[in-house]
Amino acid sequence: MLFLRLSASSGVPVHLQIEQQIKQSIASGVLCAGDPLPSTRRTAADLRINPNTVARAFQNLEREGIIRTVPGGGTYVASFAAPGAGLLKAEKIRRLRPLADQIAVEASQLRFSSEDVHKLLDTALLELEKARRARKSDPRVEPQEGDR
Amino acid sequence: MTAFAIQTHSLVKTFGLGRKQISAVDGLSLHVPEGSVYGLLGRNSAGKTTTIRMAMGLARPTSGTIDVFGLNPTRDPERVSVLRQVGYVPEDKMLASLSPRKLLELNRSFYPGTWSDDLARKVIKRLELPLDTPYMKLSLGDKTKSALAAAIAQCSRLLILDEPTTGLDPIALDELLRLLVEDCTAEGRTIFLSSHQLAEIEQIADHIGIMDRGKILLEGPLDDIRANFHRFTVTGASLPAGGAAILSATRDAHATRYIIQRDPESFSHELICNGATILDSNPMSLNEIFLELCRTAESREEVSA
Repeated sequence: MLFLRLSASSGVPVHLQIEQQIKQSIASGVLCAGDPLPSTRRTAADLRINPNTVARAFQNLEREGIIRTVPGGGTYVASFAAPGAGLLKAEKIRRLRPLADQIAVEASQLRFSSEDVHKLLDTALLELEKARRARKSDPRVEPQEGDR
Repeated sequence: MTAFAIQTHSLVKTFGLGRKQISAVDGLSLHVPEGSVYGLLGRNSAGKTTTIRMAMGLARPTSGTIDVFGLNPTRDPERVSVLRQVGYVPEDKMLASLSPRKLLELNRSFYPGTWSDDLARKVIKRLELPLDTPYMKLSLGDKTKSALAAAIAQCSRLLILDEPTTGLDPIALDELLRLLVEDCTAEGRTIFLSSHQLAEIEQIADHIGIMDRGKILLEGPLDDIRANFHRFTVTGASLPAGGAAILSATRDAHATRYIIQRDPESFSHELICNGATILDSNPMSLNEIFLELCRTAESREEVSA
């Protein structure tokens, strides 16, 4: 089940908030390969936002190979949605770089040492991995690809 | 080529005679693309309602043109086919002493081709509209709801909502937004709404027009507007004082605050090249953009007066 929430005050464009949260759900195992996503219109109505905004987020995710759309049959988490598995390293760097810059700026303003920043990142990665493992051992029925 | 649901060109509407003339709409050029959710924003008496009344053929332009789906709403045979395609929720809902049930029945008989009973029932249920109270005994919010139910169930090609949130409580407002997205945006249908509830508009609109004193200050896709407007706080020597991209520059003892209205990236690049330090750089909410634009327009008016 996918729960999206939007923050109007964050200044982050709404379509990016949706993209990030779907990626986050996949990374932490809340969404698995083959899981269906709600329709654009349904998602827009639930969030009370313009359907084009949701469509834009879904299009971007599809272009990145994270979700796939079956014509007339809905949208699903792609089967190899270990996100970005197929991306070039240069592209991955291009996407992560702005986030790294932002962390660097905040950390230096807070006088946070480089070592502590690394520790923080390692912890975050570890927690993601833990969440993923916990989901895998969960004995719920895994939805099968193409089973709809 | 984009088709427009509503388009105006140098539209003017003045009221009164002789020296006491007031221009409610003063050279307005508006472009509402078909299939969009367009939010017309403006302060009180900016000319929003007068514009909408001209689109519905309820007021005659003093000069300039307005057309709705390419038709002229002020001329008579064309006006009928405009009205057939448009659902309208007026701001002052004067619907005599009808109960909401009677109002819906009346409206239903006017639009036999498109009216949806299912949708009418859904709106009544979602908005919790009491059906059998006479109109004059309804609360302000329930008056708004009955007008909304009548217009939404009409399933028109264009839905015009003039201040559709008047008197609605937060739950009714939330349900209204859900209804609009769910049932009024499909199949290329257009919603045109005027409001000063900026937060709600920012969520559901994809096109925005900001209007002040009868003129348009800014119009375009909301995403573009968001990408163009930016606030910088900067220190350094030889900072630019003005330029096409700068909407306003405010100086205090330590720093200068810029509001940028286009291409913020090249502006920040230029600042850095000139040795300035950017202390803070933020995107702006629609509310902040609206306030800045109206204030700047006001101060320019005072200078020229």
